[in-house]
Amino acid sequence: MASIDLSKLVSDMQNAAKDVFGKRWPEAKDYAETAFNQIGEAILFIEKQRLLGKMSDEKAKLHLDIQKNASKMIMLTLEGLGIVAVEAAINAALKIIKDTVNTALGFTLI
Amino acid sequence: MTSQQRRLKGNIIASRIITLILILALTGCASIQLISEYDKEIDITVTAFQKKMTRFLISLERNIGKEKSEYSNNTEFYDEIRVDLSAIKVRAAAIPKNEITIKQINLLIENVSNLERLHKLGITPVDIPPLRTAFNTSCTAILKLELAKKRGKH
Repeated sequence: MASIDLSKLVSDMQNAAKDVFGKRWPEAKDYAETAFNQIGEAILFIEKQRLLGKMSDEKAKLHLDIQKNASKMIMLTLEGLGIVAVEAAINAALKIIKDTVNTALGFTLI
Repeated sequence: MTSQQRRLKGNIIASRIITLILILALTGCASIQLISEYDKEIDITVTAFQKKMTRFLISLERNIGKEKSEYSNNTEFYDEIRVDLSAIKVRAAAIPKNEITIKQINLLIENVSNLERLHKLGITPVDIPPLRTAFNTSCTAILKLELAKKRGKH
């Protein structure tokens, strides 16, 4: 019997991602859920094969390192998506400032 | 309103406008960039890597137990894929504000090394499904961020 609780594992990964993404989590939720589910199932599969004796501890460790790195890549993507979103929000605010200043002055200064 | 109050109000408005102009000037005239631009080469190379890796894993799976799947007969694949990833790492490093993608490529290179170690230990059918998941998920992660860098531009 596998010792890993898949739903808890996926939920823990999602909670960590939520912290990285902050308020903009809903924008990344679908992607993150799908990706973490895939990784979670792969980890569960590795653990089952190890417990069934079909995979050595040495190989299981390498497999888990591979899944861990894949998870890090997902987290990095979420971090990047967050930065893109923040950048878009700042630029939208700057555009409002620019338009306001130009309108107030009556000519295109900026 | 006295003339002094009018002058004070005028000064406040003027200072606010100057502040706004300064903010815009300091932030590069009305827009900022926090992360690199989309890079087509990274998109193409990572997509090609995913195809190569998928083809390799399918071939391994089909030939498990045969001489063709043995590590010693596949070293060329590892050499080739390392050269591809090394080239894209150099390119990614030359692009400003691209640290996240560089970290992702480093992790992908690390995973190719882990795969090679697994292969040296001997690949069996149970090894393939998690490997396929990991490499597909990794490539999707890199591509998803790269495409987001287009910022709605086509």
